Amino acid sequence: MTHSSKAFYWMAIPALLLFVTLHTVPALTGVFFSLTDYAGYGTWTFIGLENYFSLFKDDRILSSYSFTFLFAITTTIIVNVLALGIAMLLNAKIKFQTAFRGIFFIPNVLAILIIGYVFNFIFSNSLPLLGQWAGIDWLSTSILANKDLAWLGIVAVSAWQSIAFSVILYLAGLQTIPADLYEAADLDGAGYWRQFRSITFPMIGAFFTINMVLALKGFLQAFDQIVALTGGGPGTSTESVAMVIFRGGFQGGEYGYQMANSVVYLLVIVAVSVIQLRTLQRKEVDF
Amino acid sequence: MFQLKHWRARALSAALAAVLLTSCAGPPAGNVVTLSFFQFKPEAVQEFAGLIDEFEAANPGIRVLQNNVPDPDTAIRTLLVKNKTPDVLTLNGNASFGLLAKACVFADLSQEPSAQEVLPAVQDILNANGRCRDSEINGLPMANNASGILYNPEIFAKYGVSVPQTWDGLIAAAETFKANGVAPFYMTLKDAWTTSPALVNLAAQLQPEGFFDRLRAAGTDRNNSPVSFSKDYQEVADKLLQLFTYAQPGAAGVDYASGNKAFADGKSAMYLNGSFAVPAIRAANPEAKIATFPYPVTNNPANTTVVSGVDVTLAMGRETPHRAEAQKFIDFLLSKEVIDRYAKNQSAFAPTRSAAPQQDPALQGMASYFTSGKLDGYMDHQLPPSIPLVNITQQFVLDGDKARYLNTLDNEWFKIAARMPKRGDQ
Repeated sequence: MTHSSKAFYWMAIPALLLFVTLHTVPALTGVFFSLTDYAGYGTWTFIGLENYFSLFKDDRILSSYSFTFLFAITTTIIVNVLALGIAMLLNAKIKFQTAFRGIFFIPNVLAILIIGYVFNFIFSNSLPLLGQWAGIDWLSTSILANKDLAWLGIVAVSAWQSIAFSVILYLAGLQTIPADLYEAADLDGAGYWRQFRSITFPMIGAFFTINMVLALKGFLQAFDQIVALTGGGPGTSTESVAMVIFRGGFQGGEYGYQMANSVVYLLVIVAVSVIQLRTLQRKEVDF
Repeated sequence: MFQLKHWRARALSAALAAVLLTSCAGPPAGNVVTLSFFQFKPEAVQEFAGLIDEFEAANPGIRVLQNNVPDPDTAIRTLLVKNKTPDVLTLNGNASFGLLAKACVFADLSQEPSAQEVLPAVQDILNANGRCRDSEINGLPMANNASGILYNPEIFAKYGVSVPQTWDGLIAAAETFKANGVAPFYMTLKDAWTTSPALVNLAAQLQPEGFFDRLRAAGTDRNNSPVSFSKDYQEVADKLLQLFTYAQPGAAGVDYASGNKAFADGKSAMYLNGSFAVPAIRAANPEAKIATFPYPVTNNPANTTVVSGVDVTLAMGRETPHRAEAQKFIDFLLSKEVIDRYAKNQSAFAPTRSAAPQQDPALQGMASYFTSGKLDGYMDHQLPPSIPLVNITQQFVLDGDKARYLNTLDNEWFKIAARMPKRGDQ
């Protein structure tokens, strides 16, 4: 063993140990408890896969999955379209470019919980005033109190916050494109749209993939913003999977059952991410 | 359960950090015994700090560390998971407390001298939520709340409305206010739980005798159950919806805090809440005019009861190494002087025989029901906490779909019974 490879082990092993004790062991404990009827306290018995069978019969769980996917897919699309647009604007030769970039990054620095409460106030108080003044009916009451519109409020806040991070990634991507490609395209008479389609987008394919995967994975785990905005309401119309797990597992005394839900959800998220990576990577250009 | 619904902002990690930090605060010196005291009410921290000072002065060998965390129902579970049961606890005497008691994590207090002092009707309500081996007494009530209709006596006098004794009287009063352009009730539908004071009162008086016992006995067999929400809660749902048709415009976007302020400022004649809202309303406006009457749910005033829950339950960790000291502290908290003072300061009802009757004019309307034992427990304390009752009810009040509401309740109930066959009775 060479001296340098020893050093690698010395650096990697503590991190590995930390990861195993703080992540893998708790995760496996959770998997174990998903096979019990543990309430989170007191005694428990081993019940095999019963929790998993019950999951698929539980309409509250199923509706939380459909809400979460609807929310996550919508938000991912909105975030990526807008982030790419903003990134291209910020990459253009404009005055105060750095200042603009800084300003657009601010939402990402703020905690989503705080943003959630601020927007909660805006949706519940300011927007209804605006709606009443303009005579728009659906805007005259808080959209968070409307079970058909509340999820859009959550989409808006989540998008507002996470666009900033995607913009940074896209900006990094845009800067890797050599300028001479555009010069050549200009000489050949390619228009702006044509340049975007044939140069910009293919060249940042890897960044598009990572943005899509990160965004979808993040939104599938949505929790904080929903707590701050609707608390899962009105009714149970905006309960995300993470929220059902927290409520049922920690507040409802169904720890074992919700651990089963978590295990299933973990697998779902891993599967979605892998599928997404594969399909998107196939479309990336290699150069 | 009503006070502890303000959990939303509080991340679990913050709660844990607070517990860890406070419980590490300085090791005790010499032979001093330190009791960890889990106190769930954020609004009573000062009150208890004062009581602890008194107790420590009288008992130099004992130190009491008060831990108060946001979202106490969740925090206590995380402590239990780690086997860190506090020596002494206060908790709301709700369904969640019942489940913990049933899991035998609290000590049996039936032999405590102060247990003999408790009003039997109140102890029954607490025991009905659940207890270890169905025989122990795992919690002693320190203060009770009472759910009733709050009203503004000045507005009542102005329109010549007297306190309703019957359901028809209540609706007539609401109509009178409405006709005069006064909001009959101020509804705060943004906070889902504020639909439940009305629900629990309607249910307490309208559900058939032994409803929940019979429902539990039915186990997982929905089709052959003698009782169900769809069968027996029709009138409850109708009357609940009828009350909420009097909601002011925009009620769906109003939260509890704004509702307290609005009622305090005389923006509505009545407020569907309970004694627990009185301090909050007074905090919003010290000049608020508040009086109360019990929900007249039927047209026979003799049926009227007050729904009361144990707002502060004292419990002791089952395995506490300092049982004698913990007992001493509990006896101190249940002494007549402390109970009376606490009830007065926190607008609560004292649950002991020797306690002085509640003198607060805002609570006078319900005091006689309390002393005569015309009490019912909270219906929601009988449901497993994994049923999101308040959210389902909020949904119902907003969309008015009665069939779906009652069906959802039945569905949730039997679903949980089915997936916990061994604990189907929870």
